[in-house]
Amino acid sequence: MDTSRRTQREKILIVDDSEMNRSILADMLGEEFDVREAEDGEAAIGILAEEGSSFSLVLLDIVMPRKNGFDVLREMNRTRLIDDLPVIMVSSETASDQIEQAYELGATDFIMRPFDASIVHRRVLNTILLYAKQKKLLGIIEEQLDEKEQYSAMMVDILSHIVEFRNGESGLHILHVRTITDFLLRKLLKKTDKYAFSEADISIISMASALHDIGKIAIDDKILNKPGKLTDEEFAIMKSHSMIGAKMLEGLTAHKNDPLVKRAYEICRWHHERFDGRGYPDGRKGDEIPISAQIVALADVYDALTSQRVYKPAYTPEEAKEMILGGKCGAFNPLLLEILSEEFSSLKEAIKDETGRNAGKRDIRNFADAMLHARGTSASDRTLKLLDYERMKFNFYAELTEEIQFEYVFAEDLLKLSPWGAKKLGVTEELVDPAHNEALCAQFGARWFEELGELLAQTTVENPEIRHEFPLAIGGEERWYDLIIRTIRSDDIPPKIDSAIGKLVDVHDVHTTLMQLKESSIRDPLTGLLNRTGVAEEIAEKLKGFPEKQYAFAVFDIDEFKSANDVYGHLFGDKVLCEVAERLMHNTRAGDVCARIGGDEFLVVFEYNVDLHPIIARIFKSVCGKVGPFDMTVSMGVAEMTEKNEPYNEIFQKADIALYVSKNSGRATYRFYDASMVGKIAANAADAGHGRILADESGADAPQDQEKLS
Amino acid sequence: MTIRECYAALGGDYDDVIGRLRSERLVQKFVLKFPEDGSYALLHSSLEAGNTEEAFRAAHTIKGMCQNLGFTQLADSGSALTEALRHGDAAQAAALLPKVDEDYAAVTAAILAFKESNGL
Repeated sequence: MDTSRRTQREKILIVDDSEMNRSILADMLGEEFDVREAEDGEAAIGILAEEGSSFSLVLLDIVMPRKNGFDVLREMNRTRLIDDLPVIMVSSETASDQIEQAYELGATDFIMRPFDASIVHRRVLNTILLYAKQKKLLGIIEEQLDEKEQYSAMMVDILSHIVEFRNGESGLHILHVRTITDFLLRKLLKKTDKYAFSEADISIISMASALHDIGKIAIDDKILNKPGKLTDEEFAIMKSHSMIGAKMLEGLTAHKNDPLVKRAYEICRWHHERFDGRGYPDGRKGDEIPISAQIVALADVYDALTSQRVYKPAYTPEEAKEMILGGKCGAFNPLLLEILSEEFSSLKEAIKDETGRNAGKRDIRNFADAMLHARGTSASDRTLKLLDYERMKFNFYAELTEEIQFEYVFAEDLLKLSPWGAKKLGVTEELVDPAHNEALCAQFGARWFEELGELLAQTTVENPEIRHEFPLAIGGEERWYDLIIRTIRSDDIPPKIDSAIGKLVDVHDVHTTLMQLKESSIRDPLTGLLNRTGVAEEIAEKLKGFPEKQYAFAVFDIDEFKSANDVYGHLFGDKVLCEVAERLMHNTRAGDVCARIGGDEFLVVFEYNVDLHPIIARIFKSVCGKVGPFDMTVSMGVAEMTEKNEPYNEIFQKADIALYVSKNSGRATYRFYDASMVGKIAANAADAGHGRILADESGADAPQDQEKLS
Repeated sequence: MTIRECYAALGGDYDDVIGRLRSERLVQKFVLKFPEDGSYALLHSSLEAGNTEEAFRAAHTIKGMCQNLGFTQLADSGSALTEALRHGDAAQAAALLPKVDEDYAAVTAAILAFKESNGL
């Protein structure tokens, strides 16, 4: 690893009570790192308290006077320094409980004494690099999360301000409610363990609190800003705002499972409920009301009391507190009332602070401008640009590949398509409830979504991918498509499928070519009959019907074919072959298999019931006959299948032997195989003194004949 | 006397230490430093004062140093003493101490001889 590029030297703290041990480590690492030494745990804790964050690594002994290694680890846990600063234990302790304890207290690694210099060096370096990388990644993630949250916050602010302006409120109401909500949440968390909130929950609930009155957008101006008392009818309309707000949020189908939207829903709907059950719209009681809504209700009332409204002057904070505690403005959770009374002064402070901090940002436009300008040169802007660039690159390639790329998120029931894919399918890039989309159902079939679900169900954690090839009528024309999907599962036990990504690729041309290639590999291009390979494949399956069914092989070749070729030319020879094929096709049944298995040699395999002879006679007769000037005859050999699983080759050989016999009998005839033929052939071959059995004047396929002999 | 001969004399394993620390210069430097370490004196004084805990730490340090330096013999006897002291077993510690003293004397004597023969 290249360490020379690090301009600033990393700092290491060596903690060991033996000067010699420190010195050995310092000598090993001193060339590359800045080394600080501490002679015991107490000294180490002192150094870490002052400049802990400047170190990149701690090498820590266990057994030391005045605070041992575990004490140092415990202190680092208390100050949370252990999260950022890796600790490697160096000790001669071999007891596993000691090692275990060190790891439990957050030590990164454990080096046993006596140690090897190069291993110490390597582990130190690796640990430092690993932490540096992690820190960098954490930084990037934090920055992006922060950014996302800020944008959400801005959108929420804009939205809530619109409502606020209509309500004629001060513009600070939303801000105050949010501050008070945040304050009460934190205090509540300290007071009781009845409710569990993470830091993220607090942030989301506070943000959602800003939306508590969005339903008022639907309430008539005249009622909303009426200075005098509302009539019963008007009040009923006014009260509907909580349900309207909830409905608005519920209507956000694509986001309905978003935590912010969920919390905002609770708050909108129930922030006018009362702890005693006398509120609206549902009359919920006590903790039936979500705590988020309980808190916002109190925050809302408190701030309304302390602000001036068209129908009332502002009360002082103290007056407001007394009114609330006295039960004059509603009924609240006693725990919250306790907090209001106990923490009143710090609550006032918090509101004052927040107001001060945000005074300059009251105008949402200034606020947004400030935010946008402030980030003009920040690193996160570069990140955004890079992301944009990546997105552009991705789209470009996606466009070129002509694939329908997609992503489906179950929680949101949302299908996202690549731009090209959306165009191809004639739908938008984002689709909610794709199962019932008409365009998709028309192209994929009404049950497409269920079928897709069945495919996804076949994936597992280990094998999250699935491929499936099938014809689809996208854009009206039926073509073959290859579907590749990968499922993404949650960390739950058992994991459930969160989403699926994939693509649909048009493989029609490839598919067709493949089919054609396959076809051509088993067919004779001249006659269109099966070739040797093809017939072997086709027949193997067919022959399994034996012995319920009976099969026969008829092999024949054209008599004097070579002379015909010589006299009339090769083109004529081709014509003869085609004519034979034609005659065969016309005189065999659909289930029969006809093949040209070599030069002028043909094979017919067929099923028969009782008597084979008339069938052979018919085939023989139909094939023979003039082709142009050539008076064509054939010699034919026939063999029956006689036992179960008799191989194709063996039956073929028998037929071929019979063919040989019919040739020797003066051609233009057919013979049925019987076992005595074999002996005769062998005798003839010996007489002739050569290895070829068959006369080759017809140009028949020579190698095949030799096979027969071997 | 070479450093290797010195190791032979003090009951150590030179091949082991040079294999781990890689540099003869470093090994020599630490070997010469060994007698200056106060842990041995601390071991005795704390044993005399009846401070088993302190004695344990001193023995532990001696054991660690010897393991690092490959002083096998002293590391072994030091290790046995460390375990006795860890469990507060004063009687056993007292029984083990003479062997540690003997090994420690052998180590310091060999180092001294090495020092003198090389004019260090």
